[in-house]
Amino acid sequence: MAAIEIKNLVKSFGPVKAVDGVSFSVEAGSVTGYLGPNGAGKTTTLRSLLGLVTPDSGEALVNGRRYVALPRPVTEVGAVLEATNFHPGRTARNHLRVLCTAAGLPGSRADEALEQVGLADAADKRVLGFSLGMRQRLALASALLGRPRVYILDEPANGLDPAGIEWLRGFLRHLAHVEGAAVLVSSHVLAEVEQTVDNVVIIAKGRLVRQGSLAELTSNGERVIRVRSAQAADLAPALETAGGMVERVEDGLLRVRGLDAETIGRVALDRRIVVTEVTQERSDLQTVFLELTEGR
Amino acid sequence: MSLIPGLVRAELRKLFTTRLWWIMLIVTLLLVGMYLGFFMAFAGVSQDGGAMPELDTPQWTEIAWATGASTGIFVMILGVVMMTSEYRYQTITGTFLVTPRRGLVIVAKLLAGLIVGALFALAVLVFEAVTVIPAVTLAGGEFSPSASRVPQISLGIVATLTLYAVFGIGLGALVRNQIGGIVAAVVWSYVIEGIFTGIPALHGVGKWLPAGAAQALMSIDLDTGLGRPEWLPAWAGALVLVGYGLVFAAVAAATTVRRDIT
Ligand SMILES: Nc1ncnc2c1ncn2[C@@H]1O[C@H](COP(=O)(O)OP(=O)(O)OP(=O)(O)O)[C@@H](O)[C@H]1O
Ligand SMILES: [Mg+2]
Repeated sequence: MAAIEIKNLVKSFGPVKAVDGVSFSVEAGSVTGYLGPNGAGKTTTLRSLLGLVTPDSGEALVNGRRYVALPRPVTEVGAVLEATNFHPGRTARNHLRVLCTAAGLPGSRADEALEQVGLADAADKRVLGFSLGMRQRLALASALLGRPRVYILDEPANGLDPAGIEWLRGFLRHLAHVEGAAVLVSSHVLAEVEQTVDNVVIIAKGRLVRQGSLAELTSNGERVIRVRSAQAADLAPALETAGGMVERVEDGLLRVRGLDAETIGRVALDRRIVVTEVTQERSDLQTVFLELTEGR
Repeated sequence: MSLIPGLVRAELRKLFTTRLWWIMLIVTLLLVGMYLGFFMAFAGVSQDGGAMPELDTPQWTEIAWATGASTGIFVMILGVVMMTSEYRYQTITGTFLVTPRRGLVIVAKLLAGLIVGALFALAVLVFEAVTVIPAVTLAGGEFSPSASRVPQISLGIVATLTLYAVFGIGLGALVRNQIGGIVAAVVWSYVIEGIFTGIPALHGVGKWLPAGAAQALMSIDLDTGLGRPEWLPAWAGALVLVGYGLVFAAVAAATTVRRDIT
């Protein structure tokens, strides 16, 4: 049984089809990035999963059950939704203690969670004075209270500085790969999650565009090989004769499509041309992401 | 159902970890103090056929003691805020994540509202005791709870304040906008109820409103100079108040259980 399972989820707001037949699942021990441009339907999907939004049709299950059917949901699922879910006049500790009381957890969990996200020093400060990054950390602390095994995070990197983002990446990887939790994290900025996720689900205008492992998705793009040579001007026509599409980037640097590295090497050898670099450009997931989402 | 006590404690914790409750408590006691000061100043003064009894009479204590019930508006506002601040600050998301069965959240809020109303009533009664008793004694009168019907009136104050908290929660769930809810509560109690229970010619309607029912419960028939009011019998007043409480509770549940939280 998958930790998170979404089957044919459909949700409209009036005339807007926010989510239109999305299906995917997340397994324990992995981080899945849920990616899409603004308005793609990410938040709507996650809120359906958490019982905050009622889908028109389809299913959204956590540990095989609808969220509302979980007997003690915070001990199974930790969620962070878009920022500012706090009363400004309440302190960080009191905010968490309210949740502990409602969830039947000991109040000591509040302090432990604050410690875990690095907010222990601000425990008795009113949320009013918190930066966006501190609010995000507090939101994350509330997700940790029940020590769940499934995490659902909506744009958790929003408002974090580079150091905070780095910290979050490590934290999410630790949760999934060391503690074996299932992590579903949404973002509209691919670069934020690219280094964290194992799997990617891409959605645009409510429809699933692509899903797969990070490796699969990055190798799907067309291969481009960078070739550096002092005699690039002679090499280029030879590569074109061999069937390559050559782009002259700058003096001595070519980008070649349609040929593999070995063929390029042979062509250069035949012409007795010295090549100083032959590297395959990694198809940046960012490009894949842009192509996939813009084409729709 | 075993979840309910924890949820009620969580709701109380929400209220008592922010400042509004004690501001409302101070305002409540100030209002009672103001009324009592006014009644002391005008004790024995008559005007336009109506008359304020002398300070040392049981009737004065009766009227003075009943002022506590006029503070319902403040617990009502507190009730409105208990509900609307969840939407205003989007804490409702966290609340429903912990307790996805929203009906339980509403029940817990209503019970917490009853408790808060009862605590406010208690504070008002203590305040009345420490001001009215010395005032009457100093004026040479004797404070007699039975002659002044203090138990019945106190019961009316407790009933009024607890149920007004429930009204506030229901109103808050309906309106969801904090300012809108507070304005609606003030307009309701000061304008609509004020007119229909203040003008004897309109008592035919006013006696069915919560404020009129509360007056009936206390059986206060002060002639303010405009004529004697015609309230329902006390038992009917109690039923009307409880009826309003149930209606507002149902409104709170109906408006909250299904709505998408986005
Ligand atoms: N409560 C609502 N009422 C009406 N339309 C809504 C509501 N919530 C979302 N939508 C619409 O549904 C679509 C999907 O919105 P959603 O918030 O799920 O996107 P998203 O992928 O989370 O975007 P973002 O990256 O901006 O957070 C959008 O067109 C949005 O305008
Ligand atoms: Mg979103």
